[in-house]
Amino acid sequence: MQLPEHWNRDRGGPLKGIRVVELTKVWAGPYAGKMLAHLGAEVIKIESMSNLDEMRAYGGVDINSAPYFLSINQEILSVQVNMKTDEGLDLVKRMIGEADILIDNIRPGAMERSGLDYENLKKIKPDLIQCSIKMWGTDGPLGYQTGYAPCFAALSGLTALVGHEGETPKGMNIRYGDSTAGACAALACIAALHHRESTGEGQFIDLSAVETMTSLVGDSLFAWSVTGDVPESDGNFHPEMCPHGAYPCQGTDWASIAVANEEEWQALCKVLEAPALATDPRFVSLSDRLANRHALDAEIGALTRSHDAGYLAEKLRNAGVPAFKSMSSIDLCTDGFLWAREAYRMVTDNKAGTRPIIGPSWRMEPDPPVVERGAPLLGEHNAYVYRELLGLQEDEMDDLIARKVID
Amino acid sequence: MTQTPGALAGLTIIEIAERVSGEYTAKLLADLGAEVIKVERPGGAPTRAMGPFKGGESALFAYLNTNKKSVVLDLDQPEDRATLDRLLSRAHALIDDHDEAWCENHGLSQAAVAEAHPALVHTVVTPFGQGAPAEWQKSRPINVINAGGWAYHSPSETPPDKPPLKGAGRFLSDYEAGIDAAMCTMASLLRLRRTGEGQFVDISEVEVQINRIDCVLDRMLAGDVDPSAERTAYDMGGPGTSFACADGHVFLFMTTRQHWKALCELMDNPVWTQEFREDWLEFDCTAPNVAKFRENFEGWIALQQKLPITEAAQKAGVAMVPVNTAADLPKHEQFIHREFFQKAEHPAFGEVAYPGACYRMSATPVQVRTPAPTLGADQEETVNAAS
Repeated sequence: MQLPEHWNRDRGGPLKGIRVVELTKVWAGPYAGKMLAHLGAEVIKIESMSNLDEMRAYGGVDINSAPYFLSINQEILSVQVNMKTDEGLDLVKRMIGEADILIDNIRPGAMERSGLDYENLKKIKPDLIQCSIKMWGTDGPLGYQTGYAPCFAALSGLTALVGHEGETPKGMNIRYGDSTAGACAALACIAALHHRESTGEGQFIDLSAVETMTSLVGDSLFAWSVTGDVPESDGNFHPEMCPHGAYPCQGTDWASIAVANEEEWQALCKVLEAPALATDPRFVSLSDRLANRHALDAEIGALTRSHDAGYLAEKLRNAGVPAFKSMSSIDLCTDGFLWAREAYRMVTDNKAGTRPIIGPSWRMEPDPPVVERGAPLLGEHNAYVYRELLGLQEDEMDDLIARKVID
Repeated sequence: MTQTPGALAGLTIIEIAERVSGEYTAKLLADLGAEVIKVERPGGAPTRAMGPFKGGESALFAYLNTNKKSVVLDLDQPEDRATLDRLLSRAHALIDDHDEAWCENHGLSQAAVAEAHPALVHTVVTPFGQGAPAEWQKSRPINVINAGGWAYHSPSETPPDKPPLKGAGRFLSDYEAGIDAAMCTMASLLRLRRTGEGQFVDISEVEVQINRIDCVLDRMLAGDVDPSAERTAYDMGGPGTSFACADGHVFLFMTTRQHWKALCELMDNPVWTQEFREDWLEFDCTAPNVAKFRENFEGWIALQQKLPITEAAQKAGVAMVPVNTAADLPKHEQFIHREFFQKAEHPAFGEVAYPGACYRMSATPVQVRTPAPTLGADQEETVNAAS
């Protein structure tokens, strides 16, 4: 059997030399793996025909070209193991024995039932770093519960803070939450690598997706603890900036504007050609504007309505007022600046060919991590993992395939 | 409180950030056990002047600066700027969030720092990343979240005549960027430990925003789905949303016939549910059906109490949860079990509850070891040690 040409290649980057094994599905877990892979780690995703990542099934019939899967799993290696067999489980443990980090986001209790709990795995790999991502963490009175991103955003305290004023708080878009939980998992794993580097000790990381969302409203919760004022959803209100919001422009477009001081306020009035606004007694100082902010928002909205959002925002920025068009999905996909900065970049894979992806939020110099390979075919890296990593003979591997242990 | 070593024990980080994105980056690192020395301008960091206040002290500053040390340096003055270089010469990383012009003017550009301190990780968080037009880099969080697309698409189902929203609180995009910045800084620090070489790390707050929506936006980018000007372009469809109940709000999420069957039972099978096919969520989830469902459901849920009804829902297999408020969380059994909130004394506020980390680390738990520093609290110890 031939090794794929791209196995175990040197991609550079700060996590070069770190090996991660992941038992992850859908979004939060795979996103954690993606973060580490995009920093240069070798990330091996354990999959099988009998237990596929659902993302390989959404939006198509071909598990090797499913758009959801392709959009997340770049620079990930795929190995097939049927974990419902004892032999398969044993192979997984051998892979973990060769890894620095193990990440999972499978159902609460599933790792323990497979003997993949930290106490057991420590016997195989004494300095292992293991990170479990669960809605509520791994234990506790509600540890058994599972949920979807909008559920954990609601539980976390975040949803209560997002909504138009006076309305039921609807929260962030329903997609918000999974990816942030994955990013925090990757962050914690890297922190644990430092502790291992200093002391030789691994550890277990128990991540709660609910708490990930809670940590994004930490200052609001802390303020409640200090002042006793319960924060509520507040539209675009900001206690220290006014106007502060998104204002209607031509068509269905909007522009965000944030005014923090007198200079910016005067500049805004000038760009909007509204001298009367600048001297209106209701809007003289920040406290006046805050007290009359609904009237102010209406006045500004009436003035911005006839403008092109992108052009108005540019004029405002040039006048010293922070402003930006509220970007729709078509705006983002066609944005020249993002393309030019390589926020989007091309990767290639063994099936779909070339595909644009959303690249990492970071650039590093020197020694940037290379991100150029798309998501793996199912089992694309079987030969690398079984032959190179675990040292199996070709006939041993063929036998495992024949008996559907590698499946 | 027992003091266990932090994961980043032994690492020294200098923070010259003056916005929340950089301050939060360094908070994450400080809470993980790094020694973070915060360099403040004379008069103090800008966040010291941002509310809410109690007894004249900023709660925001107290939150963002746990476990840090404080020194005051006027980086416009050559002597203080030289002190910063001495601090950097014994540090492992520098966290900054100023724009390029400021960095250039203070001898803190990528090139200047790399030359003076080759064994330093230099992380700079800016709204659009290095090389962006100068005026763009003055963006505030509401501009960033609008530039990154989340505002336009939040909340789900927002009609075209309602404004896009800034998200939760004042700093959502700053916190998201801080996560990536802290993660990359730590990764680069690992490389520093292994190779002795520093690195420049450029974080774009807007690119963090778009990366977080990868599996929705990338499908549009790749042509699997059409991008559009629709406010609902990120939505999933279906009846899931927040609903007002008797004492607050609940969030309901439903996608399968099992969910529907369980909900019908929870509601005691009211007559109106018979108007829906058993598998409507999977095969007949049209906008009129969603509207009809919500209209009926709203009447029922409005009479329920959020905690008992969501507990019953969970047991019945319905993904309905309370929309918790700030006041609900510290008394919530799971948060208590996980000790997410850490009670500690603050010199001005008395006993307060700090929201902790979302990751429980068995060997190196994240802890509030010291409250946010008073201005220049560590001047003598730190600056003298560096001279």
